[in-house]
Amino acid sequence: MNPFLAMTYILSATSFLCLIRIVRGPTHFDRLIGLNLMVLNITAIISILAVYLNRYVYFDVALVYAILGFVSVIAISKYLTGRELHK
Amino acid sequence: MIIVFLIILVITALIAIEMKDLLNSAIVLAAFSLVLTFLFFSLHALDIAIAEAAIGAGVSTVLFVVAISKTRRHEE
Repeated sequence: MNPFLAMTYILSATSFLCLIRIVRGPTHFDRLIGLNLMVLNITAIISILAVYLNRYVYFDVALVYAILGFVSVIAISKYLTGRELHK
Repeated sequence: MIIVFLIILVITALIAIEMKDLLNSAIVLAAFSLVLTFLFFSLHALDIAIAEAAIGAGVSTVLFVVAISKTRRHEE
């Protein structure tokens, strides 16, 4: 079996485990860490598929998500500290 | 691999509706947007995937969190 495709299968299985933590997590922080880990998993899958399909234009999607993926996590964390968001 | 993400998409959509705490709904909706980005990517629709990534991760979640902080957080 191709190692690229095997790695994408493994990463999709781990993102399903992240989904279980997002659904069942007792606190908000568990859900937040699960979301952040899922962003990393899917960015890795997109990069691996870009190398496997030999089309380097596909890296742009992973690049945009890697740049913008932390904004939501920072906003939710700043809300959970109790401060106002616009200060 | 695609079928796993389709299952995750349906589960996140149902959970985002059913959560009572609206901040949890915002987090699950961010995960929904993430999986939708990957599904657009796997359909080789790159421009739509980039637009969904920028809007879903950058704008939409922050907008929901600001709206929750201005109003009530728990759904009755």
